[in-house]
Amino acid sequence: MNTEGIVVRRYQPWRRLFGLNWRTTLFCYVALLPILALFTYVRVIPIGFSVVLSFYKWKLISPLKPFIGLDNYIQLMSDDNFILALKNTTIYSLSTVIISILLALPLAVFLSGGRRFSAFYQTIYFLPVITPMVPMAIAWKWIYDYNYGILNYGLSLLGIAPVPWLTDPGIALWALVIMGVWKVIGYNLILFLVGIRNIPPSYLEAASLDGASAWQRFRHVTLPLLKPILLYALVTSTINAYNVFTQVYVMTLGSQAAPGQAVRMLVFDIYQNGFQYFRMGYASAEAVALTMIVLGFTLIQFRLVRNAPAQEA
Amino acid sequence: MVGQKHDSLRIDRRTALKLAAGAGLAATSAMQMPRAARADNTTLSIWTGYPELVPYYQAVADAYAKTNPGVTCTILSTSLREHEQKLSAAVPTGTGPDIYDVGFNIAINFIEAGLIQPNTAAIDQYLQGGAWSKVIVDNFVRDGKSYGLPLLLSTAALYYNKTMFKEAGLAGPPQTFGEMMDDARKLVKFDASGKMIRSGMSLRLSGQGSGIAEKYRFILEPAGGSLIQKTASGKYHQNYDNEAGRAALQYYVDAVQKYKVDDPKVQHDADAFVAGTTAMLFREAWVIGEIQAKNPTLDYGTVPIPSWTAGSQKKMLLQPWGIYVNGKSSQQDAAWDFLKFLTNQANQLLLTTMTGWVSARQDVDWKPLLDKIPQFEVFVSTPKDVEFYVEPVLAPWDEIETRLADQLPAAYVDPALKDDPAKVAALVHKWAEQTDGLLKEAGLYGTE
Repeated sequence: MNTEGIVVRRYQPWRRLFGLNWRTTLFCYVALLPILALFTYVRVIPIGFSVVLSFYKWKLISPLKPFIGLDNYIQLMSDDNFILALKNTTIYSLSTVIISILLALPLAVFLSGGRRFSAFYQTIYFLPVITPMVPMAIAWKWIYDYNYGILNYGLSLLGIAPVPWLTDPGIALWALVIMGVWKVIGYNLILFLVGIRNIPPSYLEAASLDGASAWQRFRHVTLPLLKPILLYALVTSTINAYNVFTQVYVMTLGSQAAPGQAVRMLVFDIYQNGFQYFRMGYASAEAVALTMIVLGFTLIQFRLVRNAPAQEA
Repeated sequence: MVGQKHDSLRIDRRTALKLAAGAGLAATSAMQMPRAARADNTTLSIWTGYPELVPYYQAVADAYAKTNPGVTCTILSTSLREHEQKLSAAVPTGTGPDIYDVGFNIAINFIEAGLIQPNTAAIDQYLQGGAWSKVIVDNFVRDGKSYGLPLLLSTAALYYNKTMFKEAGLAGPPQTFGEMMDDARKLVKFDASGKMIRSGMSLRLSGQGSGIAEKYRFILEPAGGSLIQKTASGKYHQNYDNEAGRAALQYYVDAVQKYKVDDPKVQHDADAFVAGTTAMLFREAWVIGEIQAKNPTLDYGTVPIPSWTAGSQKKMLLQPWGIYVNGKSSQQDAAWDFLKFLTNQANQLLLTTMTGWVSARQDVDWKPLLDKIPQFEVFVSTPKDVEFYVEPVLAPWDEIETRLADQLPAAYVDPALKDDPAKVAALVHKWAEQTDGLLKEAGLYGTE
């Protein structure tokens, strides 16, 4: 066999890694450098510093900041407030994520069918997402008011007794869940709509020709193809839910507010330890624990939901 | 906790003229004071945790500028908690204001960290010269050195609605907590469906923050307890895992569950008193400003907080609020000069007249104010039968109070506590252990 004229290229792993050639690669990284530097400065360094702080007894305004190893983490394990906050946050997050996805998905399927006023409904559902949290939390505080709230007024029209949404320790957490679902449902709805509209119509037509019912088309075509979107919605919603703070802070302010312990959440506990009690080291340990928990949930979600669409479709 | 928002008092033209004259006199007296420094084009930054104090600070700054041309003040206000947090972040890093007002329990952290310098001999002499009572001055002394100046006082008293009392056939305000509960039972109102529409007394039953524990102490202290107690050796331990602590909790539980004179669901606090949806309330003097602004025809009185039983000591909380010069400020002399002006007699009267907060000075002539608003009497003139208690000056105090406050709202409405003294005792014991734990962690715990 005549091999003259054939250039034999040696396997070069770095080429595969970086793409075309080193000049292009270099250009890409140089172009990215400012934003990477900014990201490092405002994100990576503070996160890294938080991890470092968590090993110190770091009082915000005390000159003495001794290294205490894992003591902050050990103390967390027996801290009633931390355990309560972890429990409340987990209930809040799971409820908010599950309910918002269960509501957003059928709504997205419904609105994806090119119905009249679809864009109007999408806008309405998306409005809470872009509305600032503080004024909305104040508005919800009024909505939930036992005596003058519109929610209890609505219930009274149905003959239902008024509910102490905020002041009853057993109900206050669920009042926050309702508000959390209201806030996030529009975001998930838009994600699902985009995903559904990107499913090739021929798939659904083929399923129809095979005699699949609407439910079967949804179950065996739409849902599997939506899994990447579903995963994204699950991950982002879970992260956001675990970071709930503003509405908790607003809704526990004042004498006509929710009891603090009933709605104690992790970020609120971190805030209180860090900025009220000045225990920055301890608050950092809590923050690291929160990061690990959210990371754990994210990995579980990846494992459960990822990679299935092609096989199932 | 002190620090609720309220509007300024309405001031008629005559009062305004008097105030202007007062400010003028103050300015004149300031001119006669020795100046440590009066640099041209000096800008003093002032941070406050009380937004309602801003007009007052501005009025004083304007008067000061007349005799000190070139000295201007910039005033920044945020809510109390945000103010404390901003200070905690800014002062250690040298980016804080020249002057700030703050409670001593926060200031003590700055003092211990060397971020507030001891008063100079001249300022110390000014502080200890008799304008302020010893009990106030003691709050500004640490290890024999004084820090800052007293600005205002926070003292809670009992507000009662005279119209409602007359309707209920009650001759006057209660003198004991037992009478208060009895009166409240006559004053509370329900609609036909059994829903409370007017509480007999408005207690602090919900929300979060140290204020909840502070209101618990309004009953705990007259009952004979306290959150913590100082020992002879200078250490501290909890002092409410006892009859007084249990009685104070039981009082709240009974008010909500047994006698049903209050309910977390109804309107509360100053809003309720101003709107006429409660008959009695423990609160500071600023509520007078709220009433003047929102319901000036309300017929009400203010009296000392009742005693626990007939003949026992009446007790009221006294919280002096200080004003400090930042230890890292480059304009120390100018800042102190302004503070002396701010805390002179005329400007302290202006403070109460404009904001409703009571001046910390004891040598202010209150007659013009009392002639106009007699309800200030209990706040500005120490009642003879009352003993004041103050908060201990300890770095972990706010945490001790807040962590107790976390537990109280759920206990008040817990049905298990209604008729079970053993459960009440167990709960109080658990909270007290937490308090001792915090003291131990801070190296302050001791029993001897």
